[in-house]
Amino acid sequence: MKVGYLCTFTPKEIIHSAGFLPYRVFATESPITLASGYIQSYACSQARGALECALNGDFYAFVFTRCCDTLMRLTDIFEFVGKRVHNIEFPTKIGNIDYYVKELKEFLAVLKEWGGDVSFESLLESIKLYRELEEKLKKLFTLAPDYETVIKVQQIDVKDAIKLVDEKLKSAKKWGNKPKVLITGSVCPYLKVYDLFREAGFSIKDDICTGSRFFEFNYPSFEPEDLDSALRFIAEKYFYKSPCPTKHYSNDRRFDYVLKLAEDCDAVVFLLVKFCEPHFFDYPQLKEKLEQMGKKVALIELEFPVVSTEQIRTRIEALREVI
Amino acid sequence: MRRLEISEKMRELMTGYYMAGMQADCNAWITSGAPVELLHAFDVYPVYPENHGALIGATKFGGYYCEFAEKKGFSRDLCSYARCDIGCVFAGTSPIGGLPKPTFLFACNNICNTVVKWYQVLSRIFKVPLFVLDMPFIRKELKEHHLRYVEEQLYDFIKFVEKITDRKLDDAKLRDVVLKSMEAVELYSECLRMASNRPSPMTCFDAFVNMAPIVCLRGTDHAVAFYKEMKQELEERVKKGISAIDNEEIRLLWDNIPVWYRLKWFGEFFEKRNACLVADTYTNAWSGFKVVRGSDVISGIAEVYTVSYLNIGMDMMVDIINRLIEIYDVDGVVMHSNRSCKPYSFGQYEIQKKLSVPSVIIEADMVDERVFSEAQVVTRLEAFLEML
Repeated sequence: MKVGYLCTFTPKEIIHSAGFLPYRVFATESPITLASGYIQSYACSQARGALECALNGDFYAFVFTRCCDTLMRLTDIFEFVGKRVHNIEFPTKIGNIDYYVKELKEFLAVLKEWGGDVSFESLLESIKLYRELEEKLKKLFTLAPDYETVIKVQQIDVKDAIKLVDEKLKSAKKWGNKPKVLITGSVCPYLKVYDLFREAGFSIKDDICTGSRFFEFNYPSFEPEDLDSALRFIAEKYFYKSPCPTKHYSNDRRFDYVLKLAEDCDAVVFLLVKFCEPHFFDYPQLKEKLEQMGKKVALIELEFPVVSTEQIRTRIEALREVI
Repeated sequence: MRRLEISEKMRELMTGYYMAGMQADCNAWITSGAPVELLHAFDVYPVYPENHGALIGATKFGGYYCEFAEKKGFSRDLCSYARCDIGCVFAGTSPIGGLPKPTFLFACNNICNTVVKWYQVLSRIFKVPLFVLDMPFIRKELKEHHLRYVEEQLYDFIKFVEKITDRKLDDAKLRDVVLKSMEAVELYSECLRMASNRPSPMTCFDAFVNMAPIVCLRGTDHAVAFYKEMKQELEERVKKGISAIDNEEIRLLWDNIPVWYRLKWFGEFFEKRNACLVADTYTNAWSGFKVVRGSDVISGIAEVYTVSYLNIGMDMMVDIINRLIEIYDVDGVVMHSNRSCKPYSFGQYEIQKKLSVPSVIIEADMVDERVFSEAQVVTRLEAFLEML
């Protein structure tokens, strides 16, 4: 049974160990129509698109994690339209692990109500499987970023996902020497957009929530020994994952992360979904720092479904020409 | 429309408040829903960029100052309080000559996560420390671990301020400030409740104009004295049968932040149609900051501030609005779908269906007058009033 989720801070391991399929919900190629009756047009198209999917799709439940104001309210809206929901209060300020472990314990109780009992053994197994998947994806992306695969694995069982990445690894070839672009932003499930960068002669590095931020983690150094420590393991793993603008980190960790990623890139493209406050607040100051590093910077605003790619192509080609 | 005389006093009081800020040796920029009592207890002057944003909106300079931020790359889709305030920083001035440079920043996300991003931007501009008080969102119920999480952060915040200011927190002073804060909130709530009289002695526009002291001066004697006087004026009006508008036939409730640059316009629009906006959810949000549990001040602050109006789930919001509908005996609700405030606006389509009286949604923005479409708003409101 599918349990839908939207945010990469969702503890997929726990959902999986309870016997559900964690299934990431994206806006699709279809136009957003039904959702417009439930949320205003100035909600981002990822939120509206996900609501459209929920209204049309077959899900057992949805799990939200507190990240932006839109998703915070979307939980209630999903419930209003008759969906089974749970909201995990992922802290905005990264720091207090004990607090978050308690929140995860409550999540276990909710899953139990949903008919999914989590044992230490099942959770440990899921932790291992997801780690294997994430490490393999990381390997695949150091050879050649494969956005079709990384998006696909977010909607299938983790064991099948590992097999898929194994297959891809067999045929993956390292990209040649092309100018490198860092694309940074929230979600982009539209493969066409990545193709445009390749067609313009770029090699890609990304800081995208449907790309690298799905699998870039810093794992805790301890091995879980019981259910409590397994939850702590998950809490730490997600606290120290690739940073996201919806969170507050000490010492501007998010900015440092992006600036470091950009070091070996020739250009940086902000691929931002219209109305995405967390990213748009960061954009001007981050852009300034990137330009101080000598990087060419461009902003591309996306609305889903992406209907016209030609305008985006022009922007990318113009950027390629100035490098 | 018979405006309250106290509004003049409010202007003087707020002028004094802003002047004092220019002279304060230590100040913190603070969000409207943060526990300001701690700052007062440390003698740190609180600066309210949101109030400043409202003021800019009311003086119709919203679009002008927003453009300073937009030119620097801040998107027009971002919150207009943030945009116009950041714009004023870049412009180096504002309708009141700009805000004093902060010693530190204090953002509490019990009103939105926007303030976290906004204050991160400020922290980079001014190169001053930022403390984020992270409030768990209370979707269904306040849990013990949520409360502990907030309490621990309040103690962290005290250490943070002690380090910056080199001052020690005086417990007795904090208690005194909290009591003053509670007294002001109580008086303020009583003022708002006066609008339950029929006809109402005030409109929500009076409430909007006179909310600045409860936001900015909560915890001081000024706020207590101000709302005492406001209450007297309202009591006097009720006694003499003076109503805010003539021929009050329809009573309405406003939802969301006001459209600051159109306060007068809305007031006259409704008055002409014998409709009185007697209350609103925005100013009522501050009436909730008054329950202190037991004798532990910090734990009381944690509880009161965690369950603020914008930090609760839709079911709880519906209950509150339905209660206001009952208290103020209103015939309908006007919901401002505010492009600048997602946590306030998303969910309105659903809330609307659960209210005990009819409602209408109008699209606008609280500060940015460039997105206001008068014809659309008029059409919607006229159709709604005819239906009532």
